[in-house]
Amino acid sequence: MSATVQFAAIVRKDLIRELRTREVLVSVFLFVMLSLVVFHYAFASEESDLTFFTGGMLWVTFLFGALLGLNRSFAQEKDEGCLDGLLLCPVDRVTIFLAKTAANLVLLLAIQVVAVPVFTLFFVERSYVGDLPLLVLVVLLADLGICALGTLLATISMNSRARDLLLPVLFLPLIVPVLIAATSATTAVFAGDTGLGELAGRLVFLAAFDAVFLVAAYGTYDFAIGE
Amino acid sequence: MEASQVGLERAAPGAAGWRRLIGAPALFAYAGAALVAGLLLAFWYAPVDASSMGFSQKIFYYHAPIAETALVAFGVAFVAGILYLRSGDLRYDRLGMVAVRLGLLFSLLVMGTGMIWGKAAWGAWWAWEPRLTTFLIACLLYAGYFVLRSMVDEESRRASYAAVLAIVAFIDVPITFFATRFLPEGLHPVVIRAGGSGMEGSMLLSFLVSMLGMTLLLVAMIRLEYAAELLKDEIDDLKTTLWEVGQ
Repeated sequence: MSATVQFAAIVRKDLIRELRTREVLVSVFLFVMLSLVVFHYAFASEESDLTFFTGGMLWVTFLFGALLGLNRSFAQEKDEGCLDGLLLCPVDRVTIFLAKTAANLVLLLAIQVVAVPVFTLFFVERSYVGDLPLLVLVVLLADLGICALGTLLATISMNSRARDLLLPVLFLPLIVPVLIAATSATTAVFAGDTGLGELAGRLVFLAAFDAVFLVAAYGTYDFAIGE
Repeated sequence: MEASQVGLERAAPGAAGWRRLIGAPALFAYAGAALVAGLLLAFWYAPVDASSMGFSQKIFYYHAPIAETALVAFGVAFVAGILYLRSGDLRYDRLGMVAVRLGLLFSLLVMGTGMIWGKAAWGAWWAWEPRLTTFLIACLLYAGYFVLRSMVDEESRRASYAAVLAIVAFIDVPITFFATRFLPEGLHPVVIRAGGSGMEGSMLLSFLVSMLGMTLLLVAMIRLEYAAELLKDEIDDLKTTLWEVGQ
């Protein structure tokens, strides 16, 4: 089997598994919705305009939602002995990494497709239909970074004693650059402040982050997943 | 476990070599001399800063060298991580751990001195200045390195994970610094750049002497701690052997 076929098979397996149980999709989606409601009450104020905070609210929510999903993506594999089977297959470790990253990316995007319109309805006053492609680009680039780095770290923390505790401790400080760039770019789109110069800088930065950490994970994943 | 024990046995002659070296005490002496000289130069040779910083700028001669040294320590851990993954030699794991530990210590000192300087310069202990913020995140990140180590029991696995994290973290730190530039301007006071092209010759000399001293201090501390770690491993090996003989 070529690497592409193996990649597709693993992604398909993960997605079918998720569609049958809907564990991650339902619980992470509910978590995201609940976070938005909590944000509404936490920041509730008559006169203040929340536009300045929208990007931050959105990405904090997605980051914590992604954390929940990332933890689960390997917990099931590990608990049910599925990972051993996967490692016994003649599959390149890097293919496993890419497939896992892709599956996590698809799940995160599925949640965002619903969550972003709801968020817009709740918190964004300006219509940003014209800037929608920009927002999609920001989300895609930030998600790729979150899923690539998150998958690498979830693989490491899966083999530790308290994996649910370890992943956030490792993941959150490392993902800060993505949070900063995605937050400011998203706020700019929601506020209608889409001067190309500033936004382009953030988009290039996010793309560079993705590239750097895909390469770093590519080089180190063999050691992260173990024998 | 087999592999790790082989690694430790190979480490034994190296450990003896390190112990024979009188490098560490000598390095501590050079470092002490350079740091005292740097202090004297900073206060009596370098002029009082002409900008609004005034006398408080003197802390720069300690603050900046500590920051450079912290980054050097994390760089050592990065290289040790790569070397460990390539060779599987546990001595590199010990080197990486020692380097991260010292890097973390120096980072805490960076934040301490930075906050003192911030209080004098901006009137606030904390101002989310990009460089200080980067060091805060680096501290949290490398603290996670020790959480990771404490949560993995198997020796070779712990070393591999720690090496991967040390590599990823060292790549992340400059990216974080770059990203802090995206934060909205005006939230933090304008940073007075004591470094850069505006530095006078006498200031530069004082700074370089302090930097040399701080770097030597790091090297001396790494040598000492590294030797201590290897000795610990040797003791563990001996204990295991004794236990086996007793059985």
